[in-house]
Amino acid sequence: MEYLLPTLRKKQEVDSLIRDTLDKVLVLRFGLSSDAVCLQLDDVLYKSAKDVSKFATVALADAAAEEIQVYLKYFDITYVPSIVFFFNAHHMKMDSGSADHTKWVGTFHKKQDFVDVVEAIYRAAMKGKLIVNCPLPPERIPKFQLLYKDV
Amino acid sequence: MNHNNKKKKSKNEQQEFDFCEVCRLNHNNGRRHNFFPSHKNALSSLLARFQSKLSDVKFFLKTPMLTLPEHAHQNRLWCVFCNCDVPELDSQFACSNAVGHLASEEHWKRVKEFMWKYGGGMDRVDLFRIAEADYAKWEKKCKSLKGEAAKTQSVGTLNDIHNKHNTEFANSSCNNNFDVLNSCIPNYVVPLHSYTNERAPLPSSVLSSSVSETGPSLHNIPGGSHVQDANYLKNSTGYVDNQHFPNSLARECSLYGDASNGSVYSGVRAGLVNLTHISSTSKVALEGNVHTGAPPPWLDGTKGDNLDPAWKPESRNPVSSIEGKSKLNPKRVGAAWAERRKVELEMERRGERVNNNFDANWLPNFGRVWQSGTRKESRKQFQIENDAIREQDNHLEALMPIQPYISKRMRKDATHDTVNKS
Repeated sequence: MEYLLPTLRKKQEVDSLIRDTLDKVLVLRFGLSSDAVCLQLDDVLYKSAKDVSKFATVALADAAAEEIQVYLKYFDITYVPSIVFFFNAHHMKMDSGSADHTKWVGTFHKKQDFVDVVEAIYRAAMKGKLIVNCPLPPERIPKFQLLYKDV
Repeated sequence: MNHNNKKKKSKNEQQEFDFCEVCRLNHNNGRRHNFFPSHKNALSSLLARFQSKLSDVKFFLKTPMLTLPEHAHQNRLWCVFCNCDVPELDSQFACSNAVGHLASEEHWKRVKEFMWKYGGGMDRVDLFRIAEADYAKWEKKCKSLKGEAAKTQSVGTLNDIHNKHNTEFANSSCNNNFDVLNSCIPNYVVPLHSYTNERAPLPSSVLSSSVSETGPSLHNIPGGSHVQDANYLKNSTGYVDNQHFPNSLARECSLYGDASNGSVYSGVRAGLVNLTHISSTSKVALEGNVHTGAPPPWLDGTKGDNLDPAWKPESRNPVSSIEGKSKLNPKRVGAAWAERRKVELEMERRGERVNNNFDANWLPNFGRVWQSGTRKESRKQFQIENDAIREQDNHLEALMPIQPYISKRMRKDATHDTVNKS
């Protein structure tokens, strides 16, 4: 999927993208190009990228790259794919019913789900809120177990 | 009980989809749809529009007029009830096909069906048709007209028709003064009656009452189109060009000047050109126009400014861009960052400021998972952790230089050997 959506392998690229995406939600996916779930998510992202292009930018960060590891540590990314949302270089949290509000783990069931999530984030960001509730019903949110410091 | 419930259920849920012609909508509300306000509004507007068109036709019902074939095509009518077009192809009289259609049996049937289906009110059916008695009267009048026309055939049919029109219009409700010259107009070019610069301003009061002119008349011959023109003019105000005479003359007329003074267009339907003159003042002649190769007015004097935005849509003055963006909620997340960044980017684009290489260790503002406190603290915490890990790694490496393993025996032997040797 690297050739379809902008794929980042360097920290500097990620930094500049975060800093330069202004007044738009930045959807930053951390994943591996060999993972099936990642690929499915990438497909959803690619297909919806144009629809949300007016208020969101989508980018992929390769979790296998050297320089990205620091981000994986910083964002506490253990499960892949994970999506972190930014708005004007600020991190946006979303409460989707799990313990981890800082990122979205897993894929989306439908393109519309993804669009709804991004829209919710955008609306909250425009109102000045840093955290937002997930608009999707719980059955459509992928579940996972959160580990604490490798426990 | 159950049977009734089933019936009710089936009515609501299994109602088949039907197409409402009035709202142009597929719905499964059944007969209820007719009582919806949206349907009622659409229906009333549709009927009102058709009624206005019918009023024109009914005018001709009362006073039939002969019409030229080339002007007859303007009188075509779309019948809403029959969903068919009623063209006026071979009609000698104005709107004769339309009159015939409206008087026909099938049309009446369809009107009734339409009204019943869409709830228009069965009492209004007669408004949309022509009764047999009226039709018979109309036919008689047409016959008499034909007879008279045949009698007074001398110069040519066209001329007679013009004369006919003259006499008829004198009697008709519209007091139109036909130009005598018009009666002699053959089917080819005719010298202008007035200069092209002349204008006959028609005040709206005049227009609304009746179409009377102070100069050479406008549209004339086609009686059929006349009423429509009158109606048309009633709706429009402004200047009417005198040179819109029928036939090829009008086709040669051209628009002078530009629309800079904003005079209103009004279409003069002499069956030909629907253009009005815009007042061509001498000023325009001096300044030049497209034909003389002068630059367009929007580029005069603002050339430089206008080009830039086309090329650099984003690099407008910071002031204007800030004004534009102030529509965005200033309380939105990261607003201050966005503003600062935008200014920076703009300056970079302008080349004033070199790309500032921000710290390679920059990290975005992130609220960590198992963390309490502000986000800045989380960043600091992370950096501390990071440094600790790095230090640990370095420390370990420094401590232990990698060496091959030597067993005790080997070491003993080695020392033994050296002792022995020495």
